[in-house]
Amino acid sequence: MVDIKFPDVGEGITEGTLVKWLVKIGDEIKADQAVAEIETDKAIVEIPTPKGGKVSKLFGKEGDIVKVGSTLVSLALPGEEIKEEARPEVKPPAMQRVEVKPEVKPEVRPEVKTEAKPEKPPEFPPEMPSRVLATPATRRLARELGVDISDVVGSGPGGRVIDDDIKKLKEVKPEITPEALSTAAIPEIKLAEERIPIKGIRKTIGERMVKSLFTAPHVVSMDEADVTELVVLREKEKKAAEERGVKLTYLAFIVKAATVALKQHPYLNSSLDPQKNEIVLKHYYNIGIAVDTPEGLMVPVIKNADRKSIMEIAKETEELAEEARTRKIKLSDLKGNTFTITNIGSIGGLFSTPIINPPDVAILGVHRIRDMPIAINGEVKIRKILPLVLSFDHRVLDGAQAARFMNTLIEHLKDPDLLLVDVM
Amino acid sequence: MVMGDIETGCDVLVIGGGPGGYTAAIRASQLGKDVVLVEKYDLGGTCVYRGCIPSKTLIHAANFIYDIRNPGNIGIKGSVEFDYKKIQQWRFEVVKKLKSGVMSMCRKYGVQIIKGEVSFESPGKARITLPDGTNSTYKFENAIIATGSRPQDFSGLPFDGKFVINSNEALGLMKVPEDMVITGAGYIGIELGTMFAKLGTKVSIVQRSSRILNKFDREVVEVVTQKMKKLGIEIYYNTRPQGLQVENNKAVITISDDKGKEIKLKADKILVAVGVKPNTDNMGLENTKVELSGSGFIKVDEKRQTTDPKIYAVGDAAGPPFLAHKALREGKVAAEVIAGMPSAFDNRAIPEAIFSDPEIATVGMDEESARKSGLEIKTGKFPFRASGSALTMDRTDGFVKVVAKTNGEILGIHIVGANASMLISEASHSIEMAAFLEDLAGTLHPHPTLPEALAEAAEVALGKVIHI
Repeated sequence: MVDIKFPDVGEGITEGTLVKWLVKIGDEIKADQAVAEIETDKAIVEIPTPKGGKVSKLFGKEGDIVKVGSTLVSLALPGEEIKEEARPEVKPPAMQRVEVKPEVKPEVRPEVKTEAKPEKPPEFPPEMPSRVLATPATRRLARELGVDISDVVGSGPGGRVIDDDIKKLKEVKPEITPEALSTAAIPEIKLAEERIPIKGIRKTIGERMVKSLFTAPHVVSMDEADVTELVVLREKEKKAAEERGVKLTYLAFIVKAATVALKQHPYLNSSLDPQKNEIVLKHYYNIGIAVDTPEGLMVPVIKNADRKSIMEIAKETEELAEEARTRKIKLSDLKGNTFTITNIGSIGGLFSTPIINPPDVAILGVHRIRDMPIAINGEVKIRKILPLVLSFDHRVLDGAQAARFMNTLIEHLKDPDLLLVDVM
Repeated sequence: MVMGDIETGCDVLVIGGGPGGYTAAIRASQLGKDVVLVEKYDLGGTCVYRGCIPSKTLIHAANFIYDIRNPGNIGIKGSVEFDYKKIQQWRFEVVKKLKSGVMSMCRKYGVQIIKGEVSFESPGKARITLPDGTNSTYKFENAIIATGSRPQDFSGLPFDGKFVINSNEALGLMKVPEDMVITGAGYIGIELGTMFAKLGTKVSIVQRSSRILNKFDREVVEVVTQKMKKLGIEIYYNTRPQGLQVENNKAVITISDDKGKEIKLKADKILVAVGVKPNTDNMGLENTKVELSGSGFIKVDEKRQTTDPKIYAVGDAAGPPFLAHKALREGKVAAEVIAGMPSAFDNRAIPEAIFSDPEIATVGMDEESARKSGLEIKTGKFPFRASGSALTMDRTDGFVKVVAKTNGEILGIHIVGANASMLISEASHSIEMAAFLEDLAGTLHPHPTLPEALAEAAEVALGKVIHI
């Protein structure tokens, strides 16, 4: 009996999707015949068998994810009988499914068995798991090629197994070497490139942004607010805030104005429950603030922002952002957002189209306040203009609702007195 | 937790930040996995806080003091005083440096560290409880259990932290005790007994069997036994503790030998060092498919995969020997296997070092077990008194012993002598590389150095030695 495994096809590929079986149980196959098509993230490859024989078992079904090194097919060699259940079924983890055998009552919790069972794995590995005479590199080569090294007769001194003994046994033919399997046969040219592995926060952001953008149909609505009076107010209060140790930012006013607008337009402060097909309106206002950190974008959450003063919001934002940048932030401060604001203005850019931060249904992008010529009552005046962008989930919201929300938000940013009145 | 949080999850959840856990976490991260490492206390584990590092730091200090007081034949004269509190402070500094080193390595390689406790809820889900009592649920693709072990108590002598203490508490004493009784003559009992004896403690060791360091080569152990006698350490063989009383603020322990004869020993401290038990309880393993052995260790295979295909276990929790270097390698193996690499814990032998006086270091089979398993063997022994280097240091006690098959294949190497712990790596390498006696004898060793003794011992086994 021989196991045909999914070989290492190089390029760092560790798994693939079993697209199609090219053989079925009972088939007589010849050496080098392809047994399966596996799709990796590079290409679809055909997996050939190194030996001929009769297919006795296929592991997994089409559509399964298979790991490199896992067994695909068991082959009975010529002269061998196919015995059903002749060998313990060793399934690769990716294909493992819970099988409830009739004699096992499913409600019975598995207990720690006291009697010694002969099956794997052993309780402790013996101190010398292999008395095989081979170097670590040779032992690794054997595993890589799927050779059981304890079966190999070594040709080295004193019967030491050397690399050639393993390769000879495996009869690696050039056309099925990992290099040949890899379709990315691009000649290696040394370019001035650097490769940075995607992992940690970068990886999570990537995965989740893909999920958000390709789940929620995004619509982007752009507008601007005349914040000339807000600028005056903030300049006036900045000093007083500083004395209290707070850096009074425009963002704090925007957070406050957003909570007022969210209260008037509750669908903006909601999430979608696709399982139950329901929209969940939230009567609490936790505003996520996107923060640029060396490791990537993190979103600390100002909890119950509607119940906090502008000064408190400014202070809390500053503290949480610092904690996020130094990675000291508590997990609980990164959770529970109902609406998110991303302040790109502090860095640059005229407009952007932010991606919604799940489970929110909308995200507000805030840009740089600039002096702009604006026509007021037939006269051109220089005013302070704040560009605003709202991305929203069209499954939950329509353009009209979003525009009404933006109007309320702009009204309150334009007229800080109104903001004051509404907060009271 | 970051932009776009839907549910908290990771590729690899590592539980325990000791040598097994942090290496697994870093290696998995290096291989592109998103890794969360959860540690209950501080990164570093038993090794950094309660084992290898504190004990070796204090043993180094005790040896330093002892060597100055006992210069032997070298003709150095002098006296020495020490402040044990200051020695302990220095030890804390060493521990602190290692802890921050581990921490910065984890950060450098992008491992997310969470302080908390883990309980499995299902094979792919675990609950993390933070120190403030808040919980969050993590989904994981794979988990690596590296929760280690803790000192085993001895029935009849329960730990009370005052008189009956464990090895960790013994290392933490801020004053050198006047007298100490140690139950158990394994490596912890021998190392700490020797250390305290050198610092001035009257040490007695209560041992169940007729010898110390049961699992090691008799000849090797004999050298250490002789030295312990010289240090004034009293060893009571074939005895067991029977009871404990407190009199005048001293513990009085009653021991009895196999004939029922009773002896009373007085001591400031009773150190119980009779082994360890695994930290595999209270972590929800019943909600996974992980199986435990009778003594509570996690069953694993060569890849360090448990009976639950998503979960791996490394280090002490996965069974003996309880050695940091075993855990370090297991951590890498488990991480590499998870990343799809063809790794396995396939070492041909696991070296061990005991920081006794002189040090013991061994790897592979000893003469007795090789003969018992029916192998035809030959041995070669080279004493340090024939080593030029040992003579220059006036450390001629001990020897190197090589055990090989008659065809020359090296099965084991056993060293007792100064710096044995530093000499054993060449022996491990030889066994790992499937070396024969000729390979070791034919390798050049700089002269005059202690490792020459390894090549000499190989030559003895080959029957062609020059220096003895």
